[in-house]
Amino acid sequence: MNEQQFSVWSRLLWMFLKVNMLSPSGPASVGLLYDEAVGKIMTEEQFVEAVGLSNLVPGSEALKLAMFVGFAAGGFPGVLTALLGSILPPTAMMLIVAAILQQLQRENWLKGFVTGMSPAVAALIVTVAWELFPASTRKIGRRTLLITALSAIAFWVKIPSPLVLVGAGILGVMLYSKRSFG
Amino acid sequence: MLGKLSQLFWIFLKINLLSTSGPASVGLLYQEVVGKLVAQSQFVQAVGLSSVLPGSDALQLAMYIGYAVAGIPGGMVALIASILPPTIIILGVTLILHRIRREAWVGNFVEGLAPAISVLMVFTAWNIFQKGGATGWQGWAIGAISLVTMLLKAPAKIVILIAGLVGIVLFS
Repeated sequence: MNEQQFSVWSRLLWMFLKVNMLSPSGPASVGLLYDEAVGKIMTEEQFVEAVGLSNLVPGSEALKLAMFVGFAAGGFPGVLTALLGSILPPTAMMLIVAAILQQLQRENWLKGFVTGMSPAVAALIVTVAWELFPASTRKIGRRTLLITALSAIAFWVKIPSPLVLVGAGILGVMLYSKRSFG
Repeated sequence: MLGKLSQLFWIFLKINLLSTSGPASVGLLYQEVVGKLVAQSQFVQAVGLSSVLPGSDALQLAMYIGYAVAGIPGGMVALIASILPPTIIILGVTLILHRIRREAWVGNFVEGLAPAISVLMVFTAWNIFQKGGATGWQGWAIGAISLVTMLLKAPAKIVILIAGLVGIVLFS
């Protein structure tokens, strides 16, 4: 490996370590990453393309974005470097905290803490559901409402969730593809 | 042990193939693990913690659940299974040079997933609320205040921490 390439990789690693230490969540990392990467290791156009592509692929978007940025900057080794940098900070922190918490499971105050947290966690999930709902990005079409209604019924009658989701995806393929032709 | 690990691996593989983004995985994860592998209270702790700690929520959530089920090997298996689907897809995409933009059906599949995932999350939120133990007026108050403040863009980590602290005072 030549020295120039090596410096790109170490820069990628450091960049993603920093972004993942500082950002509160996956989506929040986009802004920070933009400041760190655009103009330095990739162009604005490449960045926009990476954000767009990572919305097309299933899975955690922060990781997908990291991998696209890594690829643009340093090819396949860049992908692996970006992945490593994104995974290390949350892994280390989570394993330490999880280990401590497992020791405290029987403590009374922890039970109170969790009981109090439950309504707030439920509220957080509703908030995320609202943000994910396509209303915020595109106008609600009849197709979206149809998928929403059908999946609500399916969950209500307790059809296993993975099946419902696969069904919704397939419905999306059938319904949305017609739009692009007419 | 090995059985639990392979169970974890399969669950997280499935979840990451069927969710549009990190936070979207919460609903499906709840359905797959609560009551089977972990208790409701452990799940609430995992969601709360992963939104309080910096870094990707989805990965931290996966690791916490993995750790609670099978210790450090469990955390690692959950992590690997969460990373594999997007990695393979992205390496595949970059290999075939952004072909995916012309493969519109992939985008349509993900677009069809989105409304169903939102619905699933509302169901999940209701389950968590009901089984959380705080269903009296205090619970409703905490939930309502949290919802309003978060919709007004208050940072989730602070809202959740405060709710937990209020819980210590009210419920323990």
